[in-house]
Amino acid sequence: MSSNVSSDLVWAITRNNSSYIVKRGPIKDQIIFTREPLSLTNQHTRKHSGLVNEKAVGVQAGESGNVVLITKRNAEKHGNKPASLYNITTFNKHKSNRKIYSAIASAVAKKSYRADLRQAAVARASAIKRSQKPVKATPESKPRGVKAKKAAEGGVSSA
Amino acid sequence: MAAARKHIPIVKKRTKRFNRHQSDRYKTVKAAWRKPKGIDNRVRRRFKGQAVMPSIGFGSNRKTRHMMPSGHKAFLVQNTSDLDLLLMHNKTYAAEIGHAVSSRKRIEIIAKAKTLGVKVTNPKGRITTDA
Amino acid sequence: MTTRPTVTIHGADGAPCGNTATLPSVFKAPIRPDIVQKVHTGMAKNKRQPYAVSEKAGHQTSAESWGTGRAVARIPRVSGGGTHRAGQAAFGNQCRSGRMFAPTKVWRKWHVKVNLGQKRFATASALAASAAAPLVQARGHRISTVPELPLVIADSAFSTMNKTRTAIELLKSVGAYQDVTKASKSRKIRAGKGKLRGRRHRQRRGPLVIINPADENAQSVVKSFRNIPGVETASVTSLNLLQLAPGGHLGRFVVWTESAFNALNTVYGTTVTPSELKKDYLLPSNIVSNADIGRLINSAEVQAVVRPAKGGPRQKKGGKAGVLKKNPLRNRQVLLRLNPYAKAFSAQKLGCVKVEKVNERPGKGETFKTIINAD
Repeated sequence: MSSNVSSDLVWAITRNNSSYIVKRGPIKDQIIFTREPLSLTNQHTRKHSGLVNEKAVGVQAGESGNVVLITKRNAEKHGNKPASLYNITTFNKHKSNRKIYSAIASAVAKKSYRADLRQAAVARASAIKRSQKPVKATPESKPRGVKAKKAAEGGVSSA
Repeated sequence: MAAARKHIPIVKKRTKRFNRHQSDRYKTVKAAWRKPKGIDNRVRRRFKGQAVMPSIGFGSNRKTRHMMPSGHKAFLVQNTSDLDLLLMHNKTYAAEIGHAVSSRKRIEIIAKAKTLGVKVTNPKGRITTDA
Repeated sequence: MTTRPTVTIHGADGAPCGNTATLPSVFKAPIRPDIVQKVHTGMAKNKRQPYAVSEKAGHQTSAESWGTGRAVARIPRVSGGGTHRAGQAAFGNQCRSGRMFAPTKVWRKWHVKVNLGQKRFATASALAASAAAPLVQARGHRISTVPELPLVIADSAFSTMNKTRTAIELLKSVGAYQDVTKASKSRKIRAGKGKLRGRRHRQRRGPLVIINPADENAQSVVKSFRNIPGVETASVTSLNLLQLAPGGHLGRFVVWTESAFNALNTVYGTTVTPSELKKDYLLPSNIVSNADIGRLINSAEVQAVVRPAKGGPRQKKGGKAGVLKKNPLRNRQVLLRLNPYAKAFSAQKLGCVKVEKVNERPGKGETFKTIINAD
């Protein structure tokens, strides 16, 4: 980034006006989410904004059950080079969850990268892993009370 | 489907509607609340036995405002990519499918919500249940 | 930053062609969304055409008020008889087939004058923002495959360009075609009456290709790009804020030709040398020379004169001073801080020691009178 651009300035500009913002709900209790790929909680905040921070972390679901970790490279060298800005690590779906989490935790928190995001990064990876599991079919609801009686009677009369 | 995060009990101080004064007497006066403004109006002057007027005191606790009985808050969703925003928030927000979303897309949204563990408030809308 | 930043120049194949250019000073201009927005709202109004309802509308009747005493409102009423229209209210904005309230006039103030200095400031600001990747992304441009911003392409790529096919090829090789796809996919039919008024479709903006009109091939380059959806071309010498910051939003994705990029210093000059093409124009300089506020605050110079934080380490549920109040009767550490004797008091169990009962008492057995009259 050149000297007239800084993360503070970018945040000042993008906090009210960005193509990634999603606003829902009444103004008083408005939720503001962001679709930025490098946002771990999808909340539109200074801490979690991937555009603003020179060091940012993204965890996404990859193809066929993989988990992808994205971090930003040195802003001084790569800040204005979108194609080479990101470090992308893919974790195979066969790798155990614990290994994935510990790898993410160390990549995020060590070497003074973004220790404040460690918990969020692991939580997101865990949520993604859970979402990649096959969905259990919802059990059919058993009727209770009056409905159960009716069902039973209906069964008897028809039989 | 993730259950909502633990929260203090939701207390509704009043569940009855506030009907407009004299909406019970005249067909032309609809029930939607209008504050009486007349100089002699007995409802405005809060006489004994009159209808109560809405006021800020009836408001819900800030922590449970807009909360559904399940403990979630509704988040309007139009497509599956809107659902992705709720990946980390499935204990606080439940997806509500927009009214104009087609049944084909609703099926996609509901399937995706299931994998993400997001509750959908209106899963039966537009989906015919013929077995 | 001590070194003057340089920008890689990319060839027609998208790979760096070996040459570099120094970053022109415009890109150091202050980025001011407030000024850009203000100037944009003014400039956007200058293309409007006057419209108004007919001067006569709602007044083509000889209605007169009936006055009082007829138990009807005093609004003008159509005279005569033999038709339903007679006796109906006219003229008023509340009347059926009356005129509208405050009928629109063609002499409305349609255009807004924007000061030249402000326009130039806004243009410089928008240019500077177009070189900041986060701002371009926040505007919604798809630039994840673009090698570098500002994106400068060697002149050799344009010298023989006369086909849209080659232009598309070029955009693809430099990673700018994602943004074109996004623009072309966004084409939708406009909601409302605008459809009938020559504004049938609406779509997103794609990359803006900026060329140097002095180039020999400039005309055919413009022609090659003009049929690609979303792509616009502009000349360096006459840049338009409406193109550089559409909607007043900073960060248009700009593709530069090498010669246009090199011409920027002559067009805008620097903060100290005046521009060659604009009379008496110096680029605006930044009020804060280092925009990184966090770094300023954490610098040794500032930290040396900052007062220490009040109230010790901050706690989560702090009061005004940021310190959690602790009850000394319950919290022993706080108690000891307030009353150091408490340690000995409890260690020796002084609180449990019984007061010895003393039977001896001076003057016991003597009557009050004898004590008083002792002397």
